[in-house]
Amino acid sequence: MCALRLISNRTSQQALSNSDYTWDYEYYEYGPVSFEGLKAHKYSIVIGFWVGLAVFVIFMFFVLTLLTKTGAPHQDNAELSEKRFRMNSFVADFGRPLESERVFSHQMAEESQSLFHFCINEVDHMNKEKETQKGPSLESNTHFQEVPKSSGMFEEDLHCLTKFNIPNFVNTEQNSSLGEDDLLISEPPIILENKLVMQSSHRILD
Amino acid sequence: ENISDFSLNITDCTQVVVPEEVFFTVAAAGILENLLILIAVVRNKNLHLPMYFFICSLAISDMLGSLYKTLENIFIILCKMGYLTRQGDFEKKLDDAMDSMFILSLLGSIFSLLAIAADRYITIFYALRYHNIMTLRRALVILAIIWVFCAGSSVAIALFSYEAATVIPFTILFPLMMFFILCLYVHMFLLARSHAKKIASQPSTTVHHRTNMKGAITLTIFLGVFLCCWAPFVLHILLARFCPHNPYCACYMSIFHVNGTLIMCNAIINPMIFAFRSPELRSTFKKMFYCSR
Repeated sequence: MCALRLISNRTSQQALSNSDYTWDYEYYEYGPVSFEGLKAHKYSIVIGFWVGLAVFVIFMFFVLTLLTKTGAPHQDNAELSEKRFRMNSFVADFGRPLESERVFSHQMAEESQSLFHFCINEVDHMNKEKETQKGPSLESNTHFQEVPKSSGMFEEDLHCLTKFNIPNFVNTEQNSSLGEDDLLISEPPIILENKLVMQSSHRILD
Repeated sequence: ENISDFSLNITDCTQVVVPEEVFFTVAAAGILENLLILIAVVRNKNLHLPMYFFICSLAISDMLGSLYKTLENIFIILCKMGYLTRQGDFEKKLDDAMDSMFILSLLGSIFSLLAIAADRYITIFYALRYHNIMTLRRALVILAIIWVFCAGSSVAIALFSYEAATVIPFTILFPLMMFFILCLYVHMFLLARSHAKKIASQPSTTVHHRTNMKGAITLTIFLGVFLCCWAPFVLHILLARFCPHNPYCACYMSIFHVNGTLIMCNAIINPMIFAFRSPELRSTFKKMFYCSR
């Protein structure tokens, strides 16, 4: 940081030599900088840097809000039918045919039934989960499929386990103690599982 | 009278001076705030969790940054008053030590932010196994590794700061980490969004567009604040290394004190966007203040 030391002269206008603070390093000499014949404005780097930074932050914000707004309904349908397909493939005796035009309100009922089956076939679950949760890639198409897959896994596990520790991050407002919580007891499981993972993610982002 | 060795053109870029009162106020506020967080986490047993330990690590790095600036200012004043010589060996060693403290603060901040992002990522994507993955002991080990690495690097960078080779990895690390943290948060954000959509599809719940908007705003604030506070300084280091004699670069480097003040502002803002969002921590503060009255 020798350069810093030399640049951090607190120069006052009148006295440039003795009363100034200079931590000098003899091997780092800066000669005078001449300001003759500048083509652009002398603070062009400063202005350019800050403008670039502001543009980048605003761009990032717009990308994030666009992510909010896109993700059209057909994509959600695709996610859910994908998930349904995977659930179906796990359970042996799940005889219901795939219907892509099934209404969303029936989706939850289906999930509860399939979840019940999952509790029975928990071992299969854990194996599949280990295979599929290898760390989702950031490429956008697989991304939207990976995300509900992993969240689907949570919901199944949540339903199966009777008691688990929620990280304190997922804390609810009324309760200040750690994880051993009563979230499971009073609420229906379907709404619970969505609420739980959504709570954690929204806790972070709100 | 020979006024100076430097050219005193009208177009000269003189150092932009930040008044000392402002400096000290900002630094003191940063140190106090982060100290409060440390005290709160230590006193409240409920806060002995990996998440809060990572926030404490961030608070410590911020404190170190503010402390560095305060000490530097004190030394400047002592120098002006004549208690310290300018060329002495002791002062040079002290200066090196302070440089390494500053680099330690920067590296500590970056790695703490990374640890916080990774912790949140695990919370969301591995929610049920979180307590097995991120035990208290593992969190402490991770923090120890981070700080040992940062201390070693800072000492090495301070010692070899005159080599160009040290500046380049330093300035590459910064955007790399930022990009990685951004990716983690974007992934979490997308999951939150898809969950919100799923909940919104149920007939009984209302649509949460506002929630998603808030998520975007929060993410932007996280990363925007860090970028805006640290990037000017990193650019300064780059320019000081590679083009110190260029007039444009010199003009940029003349706002060095403003960049330093920005870093101290980061120490004030970070607790607000990380620590004070937790209701548990806020209630601990309230208890601390009301009990003391």
